[in-house]
Formats: sequence, structure tokens, C-alpha cells
Amino acid sequence: MIRNKSMKRASLASAVIAAGALVLSTLPAQAATPGVSATEIKLGISSPLTGSAGVAYGKVPGAMKAYFNYINANGGVNGRKITLISRDDKYLPTLAATQTTNLILKDNVFALVGALGTATHSKAYKAAALAKNNVPDLFVNTGFSGFGDTTKYPTTFTVLPSYAMEAKIMSKFIKEKFTGQAVALIAQDDEFGIDGVNGFKAGALTLASTTLYPQSSLTDARAKALLTGLSAIPGKPVLVMFGTTDVTAGILKAAESLDLVSKFTWIAGSVGGDANTLLALGVKATTLNGVVAASFFPDAKDKSDEYVSQFMTINEKYNKGVTFDNVVLQGMNSAMLTVQALRAAGKNLTRAGLISAIESKGAKFAGAGLVPLNYSATSRIGYNGYWFGQLNASGELKPYGGTLAIFTTDSGAGAIEASTYKRPTMPKNGIPTNS
Amino acid sequence: MKNLKLTKGLVALTSAALVAVFTVAMPTVARAADGCVDTTILSGIKVVDIQRCTGTDMNKSKYETIMPVKFNGTLMVYSHGIRYNVNLPAIPVVAPKGSLIDYSAAVSPSEEVTAALLAQGFALAGSGVQTQGWNLEESVDAALQVLTIARDQYPKINKVVAWGNSLGGLAAQALAEQLPGAIDAAAPMCIADSAQAEITMAGDFLWGMKTLFNPAIKGTNYSAGQAGYVEMLTDLGTVLTTLGALSAAISANPVAPAWPATTKVPAALQAIPMRSAVLLLGLISGIATQSNTYDASSGPVGPLETSFGLAISPALAVLENGAQAAILAVIANYDMEIRYGGVVFDNSKTDYAKRLGDDADIFAAALTGKSSTAGMLAYLSPFNPAAPRVTSNPVAVAKMNSVYQLQGKIEVPTIQISATADHITPPGAAQYLIDQYEASVANLAARSGKLLTIWNKPADSYTEFSSAGKPITPTVTTNGTNHCNYTTSQILAVAKLAASAAKTGKLPSSSAVKAAIKNEPNLFINPNYTPPLLKFRQ
Repeated sequence: MIRNKSMKRASLASAVIAAGALVLSTLPAQAATPGVSATEIKLGISSPLTGSAGVAYGKVPGAMKAYFNYINANGGVNGRKITLISRDDKYLPTLAATQTTNLILKDNVFALVGALGTATHSKAYKAAALAKNNVPDLFVNTGFSGFGDTTKYPTTFTVLPSYAMEAKIMSKFIKEKFTGQAVALIAQDDEFGIDGVNGFKAGALTLASTTLYPQSSLTDARAKALLTGLSAIPGKPVLVMFGTTDVTAGILKAAESLDLVSKFTWIAGSVGGDANTLLALGVKATTLNGVVAASFFPDAKDKSDEYVSQFMTINEKYNKGVTFDNVVLQGMNSAMLTVQALRAAGKNLTRAGLISAIESKGAKFAGAGLVPLNYSATSRIGYNGYWFGQLNASGELKPYGGTLAIFTTDSGAGAIEASTYKRPTMPKNGIPTNS
Repeated sequence: MKNLKLTKGLVALTSAALVAVFTVAMPTVARAADGCVDTTILSGIKVVDIQRCTGTDMNKSKYETIMPVKFNGTLMVYSHGIRYNVNLPAIPVVAPKGSLIDYSAAVSPSEEVTAALLAQGFALAGSGVQTQGWNLEESVDAALQVLTIARDQYPKINKVVAWGNSLGGLAAQALAEQLPGAIDAAAPMCIADSAQAEITMAGDFLWGMKTLFNPAIKGTNYSAGQAGYVEMLTDLGTVLTTLGALSAAISANPVAPAWPATTKVPAALQAIPMRSAVLLLGLISGIATQSNTYDASSGPVGPLETSFGLAISPALAVLENGAQAAILAVIANYDMEIRYGGVVFDNSKTDYAKRLGDDADIFAAALTGKSSTAGMLAYLSPFNPAAPRVTSNPVAVAKMNSVYQLQGKIEVPTIQISATADHITPPGAAQYLIDQYEASVANLAARSGKLLTIWNKPADSYTEFSSAGKPITPTVTTNGTNHCNYTTSQILAVAKLAASAAKTGKLPSSSAVKAAIKNEPNLFINPNYTPPLLKFRQ
């Protein structure tokens, strides 16, 4: 059947059907706090487990899990067991955005803890809408001072001192301890390195040479070419390596290859100065011996430290087969801060309540750091100071000159001050009881 | 919009092929008779009895209505996306067999969707506008006319859903906002932003290609008449040749690809790997950094396992995506300049450093560091005489913008879907509708609870590599990437949710939505997910 139909002139008036009464409708609101039940608190972490950064920082989630399992075995937090869901982002910004989104939407976590990296986490923060979702973003492992901007990152608390703080304090240290030596800086050409460069400027350190390299670009050949060039600086220059551990290792190995180890006074920034990782990456023990490094923690090999000792014990039982080092120490410390934050937020756990608890009580949390915690209603940067030590051939970091000297400062133009800070004692058996 | 298969064609592109562009005869198409016919279609193994009617509306646009014998009461009125408003001879990648302007009516995004919806009892209708290209007014009018025709034909229609793809999504939404009483629900898919926002995105990328890689690209200000047509075709060839050179250089040396011979940038800038310049263009334009082939995360086994995802993959994704944007920019600029009477693209005051924003930090490694980024941005500065900016014709721009602009005054339940890595209509276009709607609600110009957005993302990682470590372009386009690249089941989920909303006058419940997409791992709903707006709106 074929019927010809003539086109009727369409008029707007004839087409418009009176709109019926509009019914107000909304999708049902989420009834419960995501990731929290009567028996469980789900937390999430996106960090590198594989890839080049995984070698250096891949132990963080395992260390955190170990500590949480220890707490769970001792009753949990207000009767709730902590589950940490770990996703591998390989230290890649796009993958970090994907994994963090997965943690929020698929895994339905209550909060994020211990995310690692600046480029990775800044992309992830936006992509996963952490601000709009009001997801607590705890103890991020980066020193980028920009994360202290509560307008852009209203739910974020970093744990590391800022790179600017580190560079300022390092400036003072170099000027006092290596007077007359030229100083050369090798730093990552991104917000990590630029934060450092700004800190060195604020610390009024004169740099004879500044080399900025894009992440993942400092190949062995480039490192050798760079060191060959810097070796032309007269005398014994101070060479500051303000990058990740794999790059520190690459530079030191290049120096070994060129027989330039003794040419420089080596200083490794806190991000790239973990001795165990450097040794694992093939740096000779003899090369490490004498390298100056910055830290805000006790040395992970110092069994006389009550935090190190307690965490080592937990590590042996709950993280079997994993060597205890600075990375494990850092992971366990962040986990202990997390437990205290959860306790401080109370039994009626909410995202807003957790953020508020850290703001009001976070500065008093017990932790392994030898420098003060700086959390408040206006500060989201965690530790705010450094001390300097020298590595020995065993990879132990000993206070430079034999005496522990702690300095604190801010990320801006504030003074660099000697600190007499005494950290809180380790909670009995490493189990916080705060409220 | 056409889905241009760039990657396969680029490498094969030769100057001989470009010569052939201008010598191949135009193909021809037959015109169908108007009227109605009772017939059947197959949906899987199911035979569906239908009546199919075709005709032309008052603007002489072709329309089509299809009514299943077993009708469920709901009519779906579809608006198709933008089509070229120019005949093209055979051009590799763009139109391998040549193409004539396509005026055919479309009742859904695909034949498979059409069959499935008819099998479920939906009536379908749609048009093919008489003047193709960016023609929002006629697209809205055509949808309204075919809706009216269908209602006249079939009084048993009691609910109407307006839906569409891309420009068609914008048309469906414009219809819903202007005439909410005409429909019961709307479902814009991969909704386009305004003409100015879209041409800014594509135009920025094209201008960047011209400025950094090949000044021979004209890009804008095409001459009148036949001369302009030849200029446009020549530009397509130049763009393709340039893209081919970029692609070949990256393929030969992904870590430090050389700049093309056609570049005029200083030697110091050419010390930066060319891939970083490609990425920069993508970031300042708003082109997605994930594409059909490249997920910006995976790497081949070996020394590039991490650095490929970090520093190389995002650039290759931009190249894969930006190629289509650049081609569209050529054709769309040409079309719009004729339509509106002058140059519509404008970057005379654009601050590309501001456009880059936080991406300078996030992609610092892929951009070869902040120093390199600063160098490239300096070259693109308006103060660099070697990088002349484009100034639009204000009368033409005013004419372009005189069409309806979305207000967000949503009165009927509206369910939109948008992909996070759509390189032609980025998710920011959907976000703009959300923002406009929320503003309307805040101003009491619209009621709350009328808009639901479903996001479509690619799999967590998807780039595959050959045993030699070379990326493999998928045979099936990666879901969540490319333009309006939804699966049939995803489209049907949206259509059925919209139809349900049309019946109740409300958005489906949260549980109903979750149930509808439970088998769609790439779809997600997060009211707080906020992709960046198109750069024009930032």
C-alpha cells in the first residue's frame, strides 16, 4: 500500500501542546556516607605500583595496608575495620585520573589516603571531582606547595613538607656548611622542580648552574653529558639533586662511570634520597657514603627510634618479606595519621567531619616526623621542617656534623628557624587512642 | 559528523593522491519517490511490520516516519549531526570515494538502533535538512515539522521524545527549550556547543598547525566563488600532507620526532621534540588527550613502558583526534564564511598561556618541561609577527550567534549522554548545558530534577602494541573516544530511559538508571563529575 500524503504547513502554534503540570522530581539522595558501614571503612589509594616510579615508591600501599591490618587485628577504629583499596597509576597523570575515579565511583571509598605525585594527583583531583564530592584527600605524598591552596583543593591535606620549604632550608644549610663552594642544581622541569627553584631563590642561595630536565628524560647519556659539563666548575662544587630517586640513582651511577664521584659534594633532596632504593637501583655503597640528604623523618635503619622500632615490628608480621626502609616508614606513618584522623572524627563518621577533625586536631597527631605537623583551619601542608644528614656505606642517614639540627619554615618568605620541637611519644604498641 | 579514519590513510598519503583529488569525477545519487509503504524490517531474527513514509517538508527537507504495527505510543524524533555542505571529490582520509552533500532523512543514529527501537514498538521520525552544514535553525524546524506530520498521520501517538546526535543533539535541546509543550522528553547525545565555541576549538588547532608546522595552510578567509572552493580543497590537501609528515616523524622517532620541513619556527624551538608541540596545540584547543588508539597510559614492553604513556601517548592521541578537528575546521570555516558573510574564527585576543592553565603542570613531562612550554607559548604570542593572529568579521560573527543559544531552561525530563574523550563535541559541551540548567534553576527559570547526564568513558587502558612495540589501531573504534561513538546498547539505554521519562514526566529513579546501565561498564553517573568547558567558555 502506497499513499501519497500532502505536506501540511506546520505551524508552531499547532505543534505546541500545552505543557502539563510539571512535577518536581529529583534522583533520591544518597542516604549513607559512601564507604562507611557499621563494620568497615573503605579507603583508597592511587599510586605507582609498577613502572619506574613503582620501583621507588611501590611499597607505600603495602606498608599502609600492613599498619591498617595491625589496627584491625586490635579492634579497628570505633569498631570498624579499615579496608585499603590500592590501584596502580604507574605515576601517569591520565591513569591516575582513571584510577582515582574508579576508587570513587566503582570502589565507593570513603576517603583517599597517600596518593603520590603532583602531576598525577592534580589531574586526578579534578577528574574525580573530589572537591564537589567532598572526598577527604589525606596525606598526599607530594611537596608541591600548590596543594595548600584550599580554593582549588578544599579537601586535600599533604603530608610532606613543601619543596619550597625544603629548598629554603637547604639554602641555609649549604650557605653555612659549604661556604665558598659553587652550587649547581639539577631539578625536574615541572612544578616539583620549580617549587624548589623558588625556594632556593627565597633562601637567597647563589646557584652557579641550574639544569632543569623534563620528567623521564634524564637518560644515562644525558646525565653523563651534564656531569661532564658541570665538572668544569672549579673546585669541589656542591651538586644538588632535586628529583626523584630513579634520577638521583642515574646521576650517581653516571658519576661512577665517569669517575667523578669525588669531584662533587652530593646533596640529595628528600624525594630522591632513600638509600635502600638507591642501592637497589645499583648505586655503589661507596658512592653513597658521604652523600648529604634531607629528611624530616628519623632514619629507617635507626632501631633506637621508638617509631621505627614499632613500625619494624608491625612490618615483620603484617608485611612479610618486605624490607623496612624510608618508604615503608613513610607509608606506615601516613596510615597511623589516618587512624588518628578517623578516631578524631568520631563514631558518626562523615566526610566533612573527617576534614574538620584534621583541621582542628591534626597538628597534635602522633607521628614519626621529627619536625612539627602544621595542620590547621588555614594550613593543609603537613610537616614543615627538615634536618640534614650524611649517608654512610650502609645506607644509614646520620645527622650532619653529629648533631641533629631541625629547621622549620613556610613556603613563602617566612624566616628559617631552628626548632626545638619534640614529637609526641609513640602511642602504646603503636595503637592510637586519641579522640 | 563524519567519522574520519585518519590513521590508516595518513601514511599512504602522497602528492600523487593529492593531484588526483582534483581530477576524479563526482559520484551521483538517485532520488527516492515520496509516499508511504507497508513493509517489514528485521531486528535480529525478529520480523517487524512497519509503515514507512517519506516526503519533504515546507523547507523542502526530506523527512521520514516509521510506524510499527505494534506501536507502544511513543514517537522518537531524531535530529542528525552536521554533514558537509560541500561536494567533495575523492580525497584520501576525508572522502576516499568522493562525496555529495547528503540530504537524506535519518530517524536514528544507525540502522541497528532503528530496527531495535521499532521492534520495541517505538515510532521513529527524522529529517535531512535542505541546507546542510551548521544549520541549527532548520534542524530545529525540521524536527518540529516532522513531529507535526507524524502526529497528523498517527493520532495514536501520545508521547514524543526529541533526540539527536551532535548538532542534532543541540537541535533537540533547542527545540525542548523553545517549545517544551511540543515534546515530553529530550535526549541530546554528544551535544554540540554553540557554533562559536566549536569553531574556536577546531580553529585554534588549525591555526596552531599553520603557525607551528606549515604556514601554507590558509585556514580562514577563503575567497568567494570557485576560487574559494579550490582554496578549501587545496587546504585539505595541505593539512593532510602536514598531518602525514607529523605522523611519519613520530612513527620514526617517537621520543624526539623531527619537525616537518615546512615549519618556519626557529631552530631553537625545533630542538623541542615536535610531539610536544602537537600536544600543546591539543591542550590549548581543548582536544582530548585520549583517542581511538592512544589511552595516554599504556606503553610497550621495554624501555618506553612508562615514558610512552607519560610523554608520547598523549601527543599521539592529540594528533589522531586533532587531525579530524583540523579537517573539520577547514570545511566548517569555508562553509560558515559563505553562510555568514565573513571570517568567523577569531583568536586576535586569545591568551593561549591562560588556555593551557594547569595542564602545563599536569603534562609537564610530555611538553618537555616548563621551559620548553614557555618557549612554545612565546612563539604563539600575539606579539610575535611570525605568528599572525586571525581577526573575525564582527557582522559575520553576530549573524552566526543570532541563532538560538542554549539557556538551560529545561522543563521536560532530559537525559543526555556525552563521552569523556569525544574530540569534536567534548564533554564540556554537555557540562555547559548542566551549568546553564543549574543557573536557570537558581534563577527560578527552570525546575530542579529535570536533567540527568550519563557519561561515557573509555576503558581504563586500551592501547595495544605489536610484538615490535608499535601501537595497533583498533579495528573497532574504542568506545568512549571519537565522536558520538556509542554502542547500540548504550544508545538504546538512553532512548528507553528517555521514553520512560516521557511517560512519567519525571527522570527515572536512581535505581532504574543504574539498572539500565548495569551492563555498560563504560557508562557512569556522577552528578559531581565536572569536565572542563570548551576553551571558548573558559
